[in-house]
Amino acid sequence: MRILITSAASPMARAVAAELKDDHQLRLLDDDPALETGEEEVGEVVRGSLLDADAVWQAVRGMDAVVHTAEPPAAPKTGNQDSMAKQQFMLDWATRGTHILFQAAVETGVRRFVYGSTLEIFSSYPEDVYISELWKPRPGPEMPAMSRYLGELVCREFARDFPVTATALRLGRIVIEEEVEGQRPDAMWLDRRDAAQAFHLALNRDRGDDLRFTARWALYHICADIPNPRFLIDSARTIGYRPEHNFHKQWKA
Amino acid sequence: MKKKLLLLGASGGVAPRVIPGLESDYDLLLADIAPRPQAGACAQVDITRYEQVLEAAAGVDAILNFSVIRGDPTQSFHVNVLGAWHVMTAAAELGISRVIHTAPQLLREDYDWDFDLDDPPAMAGTGYYTLTRMLSMEVCRVLARAHRIHTVCFLFAGVGGEFSREQVAEMRDFPAFYIVWEDLQQACRLALEIESIPDYFQEFNMLSYFGQGKYNADKAKRILGFQRPAP
Repeated sequence: MRILITSAASPMARAVAAELKDDHQLRLLDDDPALETGEEEVGEVVRGSLLDADAVWQAVRGMDAVVHTAEPPAAPKTGNQDSMAKQQFMLDWATRGTHILFQAAVETGVRRFVYGSTLEIFSSYPEDVYISELWKPRPGPEMPAMSRYLGELVCREFARDFPVTATALRLGRIVIEEEVEGQRPDAMWLDRRDAAQAFHLALNRDRGDDLRFTARWALYHICADIPNPRFLIDSARTIGYRPEHNFHKQWKA
Repeated sequence: MKKKLLLLGASGGVAPRVIPGLESDYDLLLADIAPRPQAGACAQVDITRYEQVLEAAAGVDAILNFSVIRGDPTQSFHVNVLGAWHVMTAAAELGISRVIHTAPQLLREDYDWDFDLDDPPAMAGTGYYTLTRMLSMEVCRVLARAHRIHTVCFLFAGVGGEFSREQVAEMRDFPAFYIVWEDLQQACRLALEIESIPDYFQEFNMLSYFGQGKYNADKAKRILGFQRPAP
């Protein structure tokens, strides 16, 4: 497949690109100058912001799938850099930017979308419950999680309105297993390589021709496979998700 | 002492017709990005600018947000989503414990064939107007719960402004999910005076005619005490 990856300069997107590059033709979209170094071997580099409809339209043209990692970019380098400006930018980027991306994608014939959401939207629940995809999200007002949740809703509505496959992955807290050795384990931990695996698997879903919205749209909780988990990953197993980095040292201790 | 209310979007299609039902009982601070064509002072406030919303809201007891942009790809997000976030953030910062928000009903397209509908799932679709208003409701819901701001969102499909509530009650038919001004005024007063809102955020169907048996306002009756004249 020809796949567009957003926020391509982010560590998450780079991991996704590394996972996909041997099997697919990649186009990497970001307006971060850091993207340009050494990425040509991975995929075609396209500079642009999700908030620039023309740039996005050019980026999605010819693609079969879009992986919207939803990794928030840095706020614009010009103008007010205070907390308010950053939060305003993040909200606009997550909502309007996601709409621009998916609108351009459906107009150019893209049929598969994968969106990177977050399990942080369940942070307010107590520790002693088992949270599946059936649980009601209760995001807090912190902009990183709330805006990502709003982007998930935008993604869902495109699956409702168009014959496309849209899959949201609610990712745990991204870490690298080797880098958190010795730390107190977290039930929300997710190794970045396993997150990339989940994106890869989600791209295999192809339900755009299904008349049922509930088949075109799917949600999966993605985190490590740990004893007595807080977040259930049984649904993700149905698409083949098998996390390889499960923090055994911490959970056995 | 009268409560002081900030009405954002005071020059729009809804607020000028709600104001007559509130002005005798509340001190109203009217605000809009555009001057109000009718008589009365109207502060110029751009809801997409947080500092302007914050300044306008200082000292008020409640904010009523009637601002809306419908079809513009950029402004619909900025006014409806970012604007709602500004309103709720200003309310949190200033300790304002009451907000009234409005949105279009989000179900007619998919549910017009069904009956006895109250509090069904929101199905906004990807249109700028409905999607951004749904997102704005989510923003209100999140911040209302986080900051304990009693927040009400009124949902309606349209307004039948030329009719009184008594006239509508006696009609043989009336557009579905439409509300007359008197009823919306009543609902606003109820929302401003109710002691608390369950879970700090609730959305309510607002309609003035129930003859079709299609949509209802039972939740508004149950929680707010919303009443209609008997037909």
